[in-house]
Amino acid sequence: MGNLASRLRRVARLLGPSLLSLLVALVASGIVVALAGGNPARAFLALMQGAFGSADSLSEVGVKTCPLLFTGIAMVIAFRAGVWNIGGEGQLLLGAIAMAWLGSRLALPDWLGLPLVLAAAAMAGGGWAALAAVLKRQRAVSEVISTIMLNFVALQLVSYLVHGPLMEAAGQYPQTDAVSAALRLPRLFATHRLHLGFLIALGVAALAQVLLFRTVLGYQMRAAGLNPVAARLAGIPAERCAFLALVLSGALAGLAGGVEVSAVTYRLYEQFSPGWGFTAIAVALLGRLNPGGAVVAALFFGALDAGSFSMQRAAGISSVLVSIIQATVIFALVAVEGGAWLATTRARPEPSVL
Amino acid sequence: MPNDPAAIPAPPPNAGQALLSVRGLRRNFGAVAALAGVDLDFYPGEIHAILGENGAGKSTLMNAIYGLVRLDGGAILVDGRPVHFGGPLDARQAGIGMVHQEFALFEVLTVSENLALALSPAREWRLRLDRVAAAAGALAAEIGLDLGDLDARVETLPVGTRQRLEILKALSGQTRILILDEPTAVLTPVETAQLFRMLVRLRARGGTVLFITHKLREALEVADRVTVMRHGRVVRTVRAAEASERALAEAMVGTEPVPAAAPRPRQPRGAPLLRIEELSVVDERAIRAVDALSLEVRSGEIVGIAGVDGNGQWELFQVLAGLRRPTAGSIHLAGTLLTRFSPEDMIQAGASTIPPDRQRQGLVLEMTVAENLILNCALLARLASGPFLPRAASRSFAGALVQRYVIRTDGLDVPAATLSGGNQQRLVVARALSTDPQLLVAFNPTRGLDFAATGAVHRACSQACERGAALLLISTDLDEILGLSDRVAVLYRGKLSPSLESPLPAERLGALMAGVHEDAGG
Repeated sequence: MGNLASRLRRVARLLGPSLLSLLVALVASGIVVALAGGNPARAFLALMQGAFGSADSLSEVGVKTCPLLFTGIAMVIAFRAGVWNIGGEGQLLLGAIAMAWLGSRLALPDWLGLPLVLAAAAMAGGGWAALAAVLKRQRAVSEVISTIMLNFVALQLVSYLVHGPLMEAAGQYPQTDAVSAALRLPRLFATHRLHLGFLIALGVAALAQVLLFRTVLGYQMRAAGLNPVAARLAGIPAERCAFLALVLSGALAGLAGGVEVSAVTYRLYEQFSPGWGFTAIAVALLGRLNPGGAVVAALFFGALDAGSFSMQRAAGISSVLVSIIQATVIFALVAVEGGAWLATTRARPEPSVL
Repeated sequence: MPNDPAAIPAPPPNAGQALLSVRGLRRNFGAVAALAGVDLDFYPGEIHAILGENGAGKSTLMNAIYGLVRLDGGAILVDGRPVHFGGPLDARQAGIGMVHQEFALFEVLTVSENLALALSPAREWRLRLDRVAAAAGALAAEIGLDLGDLDARVETLPVGTRQRLEILKALSGQTRILILDEPTAVLTPVETAQLFRMLVRLRARGGTVLFITHKLREALEVADRVTVMRHGRVVRTVRAAEASERALAEAMVGTEPVPAAAPRPRQPRGAPLLRIEELSVVDERAIRAVDALSLEVRSGEIVGIAGVDGNGQWELFQVLAGLRRPTAGSIHLAGTLLTRFSPEDMIQAGASTIPPDRQRQGLVLEMTVAENLILNCALLARLASGPFLPRAASRSFAGALVQRYVIRTDGLDVPAATLSGGNQQRLVVARALSTDPQLLVAFNPTRGLDFAATGAVHRACSQACERGAALLLISTDLDEILGLSDRVAVLYRGKLSPSLESPLPAERLGALMAGVHEDAGG
């Protein structure tokens, strides 16, 4: 059937760029390892071992994936709606602040407390994004600029809080008090760090898929993101869609921070995030702006993260290599996408030049 | 005027060899011939206006001369020698400069920095802004081109100054032929006058200026010779001194017998569905784009708004689509006074639109055919009962429209971008009519379409009227207006002429489109 062939072609078109850029990234990082005098095969083997070699390493992959998945989905939603939210990092930090603050101060019954503080974390992230969203809607301020700037504000805010008002009672380290036991997300297995937040993240990905492709609002967001002019003419509130997408995106990033504090670190401190909010952009792009794709991409980046330390130990290759792989993936992806874009625009001359 | 001036090409302004000639230029975009064999000669020291409607092929011709458009056939000769331009750089080497409608300036840089980027010899590694500025200033002064403060940032400059900057850039080096694509479209009247004074000075220095316009008056005012294009061909070339606006207007819009495109049984006219009174719209340049326009369209009636593009059509369309607020006047739709203007309000009030640019305004090209067919807030509200996308309902809805309007597509799930232009337009029309609108506002609904698609669009529009809709047809294609409309009015400089009933005299319309009134034309 031609139907099957065309379906296969479509899948290839969808996955092709991502797979190709992964390949390019692996080859490039292999060369870097070789140039540094290492053995690429050993390095990658150690990386794989570190990521998939044992139950505990698998659990660590899940732990590392979790914040990337929340923020990755956050970026998917924003980018689909044509909103360039570069502020995932700041929104994540605000969520972490909310969780660390409420989690160490609030006394609530178990069944109510955890959902409430998680919601508060999401609201904090969404509120942070709303600053940019309001500026965009009322003052036409580019969200690219405002969200980037708000990252720095959030970083400084964290620094101020952990040195000042939210500093631990012991007064020894610049960090918050630990989240009370009742407000910690439970682990899935007693002996591993993998926690409930990972399942929540998967659930959020599924919900995002439903929102974007099964609801009227998601349809409107996608239409407004791809062609705001046509959407507006069709009576679709394009500005409102962009506003909602940015706030929702911020809420998911905030949730990422909240979950991380509640399930892994229990405290907030400076250098809390290794840049999850930025890697999230790569996750979303590598996942081709599909929630399912973002799950795979987040797992990939999570595995790189989890495996990097064992690679350093076993093969003597600095874990910085992982950053090189991540960066090369992005470069390759942009190059491949750009090439594909050039090819289509060359093949299909715009008749509207008439 | 001779009866067939096309047979007598206007002689060159002075004897001698043509600086630039084109011979048999051909270029197709899909099924449409943008250039269908164009022969023209341009001489040193002449200002040559290329006149024509949208889609007549003016821009394609100029882009071809500037090396931006690949040719399907024909030759370009400079100084009598055939040349081949792989791109604009080749054209510049041959002494041709062009200023596009959209400027290519660095907004955050100053005037002299922009000039330096364009003019500095590549071999010089050191940027000598003062030298560039001095050289540019000398050239500017020589041709009376006032750039004002050379240290001002481009983003702070009015559009006329930006254009002068672009012109100076285009004149750098050995430019002998300057091409201007609709230079006056963005200018205020004062700026236009300044531009023309400068063009005259350029001519005095022996330069050749080709400029595209669809404004008759401008062509006659400043040009030595005027070439009228239509449907990718040269209709005629005349000396401006010997031409009349009226003759040019007729040449532009064509006076060939109108094919009976859609013979429509005359409808008994119903109640007025659209009543516009004293509508005025002021555009971004604070120019009154629509000026006290009054109009009535009844149920079952097609009213054509003819006119040369840029006379307020786009602003009128924007108001009726809910994209722009009128500055004065009132609009009644189906008996209700409209007070709120947003696309959603207009759609809810019963209006539906076919925008002039289907790819930019009508479709989300990356989305599927099915998704595009429900891209309308009224349709979404009708099909969906909750927050979820009504997949089954919208698919059967889309499938029915594809069948009914014969949209040739590889299924409902392929991107709209994969459809041909004609089928994309059928999609837009199908969607516009599927809301059962009381009023359909169509702006150039068949622009760039082939014969079959044009017929399909026209039939669909007529059928909507037979069902009782009112159709306002805004079109710069007079054939289309004449073929469809029950009544026609002409928009000229934002003012609407009294409407003419059929049988419609094409010559009279041509004169009105040129802004020539009965008493003036004779």
